[in-house]
Amino acid sequence: MIDINPQRTLVRYNVKVEQEMTPEEVAEKLFPVDEAIREVARAVFEGDEDEVVESLQNAIDKGKDPLSLINDALMVGMEIVSTLYDGNMLYLPDVIISAQAMIEGIEFCKERSGQEHEYKGKIVSYVVEGDIHDIGKKIVTVLLKAKGYEVIDLGKDVPVEEVIAAVKRENPIMLTGTALMTTTMSAFKDVNSRLLDSDINVPVVCGGGAVTQDFVSQYDLGLYCEEAADVPKIADAILKGFDVERLRKEFHKH
Amino acid sequence: MDVKRYTKMAYDDFEDMVFGHSLYPVSTGFDLEIGAGYTSAEVNYAPRPSSGESKEKLVAEYEKITTDILQRMVQVGFPSVVLETEHVLQMTTNPEWGAEIAHAQKTIMEEYYDEYGIKCALRNTLADIRGGRESLDLRGDPYDVLMESFEQVASSGADMLSIESLGGKSVFDTAILHNDIPGILFSIGILGTLDVEFIWSEISRIAKKNNVIAAGDTDCSQANTAMFIAGGLLDRKLAHTMAIVARAISAPRSLAAYEAGAVGPGKDCGYENTIIKAITGVPISQEGKASTCAHSDLMGNLVMQCCDLWSNESVEYHGEFGGTSVQCWGETLSYDCSMLNTAIEAGYAKVFRDVLMVSDRYRDPQSFILAFDNAYRIGEAIVKDGNDIYLRSKNAAIEACDIVERGSKGQLELSKFEKASLANATKILHSLTDEKDVFIEEQMDKFKTEMDEFRPENYGY
Ligand code: B12
Repeated sequence: MIDINPQRTLVRYNVKVEQEMTPEEVAEKLFPVDEAIREVARAVFEGDEDEVVESLQNAIDKGKDPLSLINDALMVGMEIVSTLYDGNMLYLPDVIISAQAMIEGIEFCKERSGQEHEYKGKIVSYVVEGDIHDIGKKIVTVLLKAKGYEVIDLGKDVPVEEVIAAVKRENPIMLTGTALMTTTMSAFKDVNSRLLDSDINVPVVCGGGAVTQDFVSQYDLGLYCEEAADVPKIADAILKGFDVERLRKEFHKH
Repeated sequence: MDVKRYTKMAYDDFEDMVFGHSLYPVSTGFDLEIGAGYTSAEVNYAPRPSSGESKEKLVAEYEKITTDILQRMVQVGFPSVVLETEHVLQMTTNPEWGAEIAHAQKTIMEEYYDEYGIKCALRNTLADIRGGRESLDLRGDPYDVLMESFEQVASSGADMLSIESLGGKSVFDTAILHNDIPGILFSIGILGTLDVEFIWSEISRIAKKNNVIAAGDTDCSQANTAMFIAGGLLDRKLAHTMAIVARAISAPRSLAAYEAGAVGPGKDCGYENTIIKAITGVPISQEGKASTCAHSDLMGNLVMQCCDLWSNESVEYHGEFGGTSVQCWGETLSYDCSMLNTAIEAGYAKVFRDVLMVSDRYRDPQSFILAFDNAYRIGEAIVKDGNDIYLRSKNAAIEACDIVERGSKGQLELSKFEKASLANATKILHSLTDEKDVFIEEQMDKFKTEMDEFRPENYGY
């Protein structure tokens, strides 16, 4: 069997550009100073649901307001996770596991306070009719939740009718649609026209394998986006008042 | 169920494995032999979306595709070709559509064979229509339609039957996004294997009855999903050292098709096929550098190392500057095969194989474990406990991790992330029980409580 030294035939860029510090070391520098809050943030970072609940209980025992802990502790921990993910220091499952621990924590705080938590905004997500490729959508919804949005997830293979009904019912700030097949993505256009028929001007953010910017640009409410990690940034921009035209300027890359 | 487990390797030595040769060649279609001393292109295509509106439009689309491919093969002087029709959903849910298309394609192939003597055969890969909206329904009504569809294509012109089956998929999707290694092992190694065994017993029966070939499956729905989530070198969605766990376990899973009567050639997108060839000696199809029309991977040359058919995975039928897409990709594939076949004729096959393999060996942990020597080692770990579908899957995963660990002491560079994830995977794998029943019960309980859509009855439980 032949063997060679691969130094001259390929470059492992992932190894080459690697950060010096471990994610744990970086996170340690970012955790808040207040001890009670720090423990909650650390538990979220570690993705340990039991630890999250326990540290929340400790913080409440020390006099912290349960509802404020959502934004002041849970979201702070999650923000650190997101920052490290955006900085290429963590992997997606780390984010998903932390997000789940955070969500568990939010439920606990809501229960404790007996009040509703105000999310940053509500978003409806779905995979188009005829399409069962839903991992991309799962990723998108987790990243949105991780950034403090409430997500109504309609699942996969969702008929246009159901999408429209959900938008009318939930009144979201945006809709995210996933399609992986050229044969299924035309359903975005139907959603677009049905929304316009009802005078609903909610941006329809479209992504997934088959979808292209050219295709999405053909319908008025459409916004194309390639990377799931950009979806929360789009939501933030919508909260800042961006309309579809401005969103396209900002997020259309091709 | 008549299942014959593999408990020893078909090849005595990995050095004996090479492209274009298999221990058990398959004869099929018009004079075509697979794995009998030469390689052939396997051209794969998807109809334009607009053609899916009616049966007539679809038939016409596939007729054009077939003629285009064969015409180009003849124009450039290639001796053989396989056409793979991967069903769009309508073709499987309406069995007579699939049948009519198979018949139409085969008729054109026969004309070319009669006129030019070009050796050719038609593979039909049916859509696994058992993936419902709410949950998988593996053994209910969709199963009956699926088998009816196999019957109809088998009696209407398809030479080889395949499927990319979905068993275990919903559990896997959850497990992979949570770094849940026991869940990955359970979904692919147990659930996947049980389903593959179940459907392939029947597909093999149908193939036998119709005198066609029960070709093989692929773990596209799990191991390839992991590979796609893992992505390129700079992606951070999944550690590539985690994707190797899914890939290693996919081998004993896809192996179950051959244990239930399939004879090859294995499906193109089964990157686990080198392992399977080492265990069974059946011919295999592979895809890599000439399937960039469908997706990117990190082992475009390496996967060619032991292929018997060489595929482009799938390309939408449309015009390119150099002809239609199927003509362009068909030609690229066939030129690749011509190069491989020349190496065989000249007596340089093994050197050529090594060059292909080494060019990607150190590109990524995923390519490293599939280099034919390492693939062979994973095969050995599988057959060691070949009768126990749990242990062999666990063995495969541990062996893959060990191979990468050893490799990282040599030329295989790993990032800190990859090292950490590898160490974690190894630790968890070693902590698992050795008892199949204990493991299954534990995982069944876990997913029954944690996952609404999980249905044990899909797997006979
Ligand atoms: C894995 C896979 C499957 C799995 C899906 C598992 C699952 N739960 O999702 C299974 C096995 C079920 C499957 C089935 C089929 N598949 Co498939 N599949 C793939 C494959 C190999 C990878 C897809 C994947 O998971 N990628 C990883 C994820 C993470 O990526 P993603 O979904 O694109 O999401 C990312 C971004 O797009 C983005 N994103 C996603 N959604 C959104 C939304 C918004 C708003 C934004 C901004 C971003 C965004 O973020 C994500 C993270 O980065 C692709 C190949 C390819 N080139 O894509 C084929 C592919 C999509 N499948 C294909 C086909 C044909 C099929 C089948 C019809 C095959 C058959 N005959 O049975 C069936 C379809 C069944 C159906 N009705 O849907 C074709 C589609 C061809 C076409 N016509 O366009 C492809 C392209 C393969 C090919 N080249 O032929 N498949």
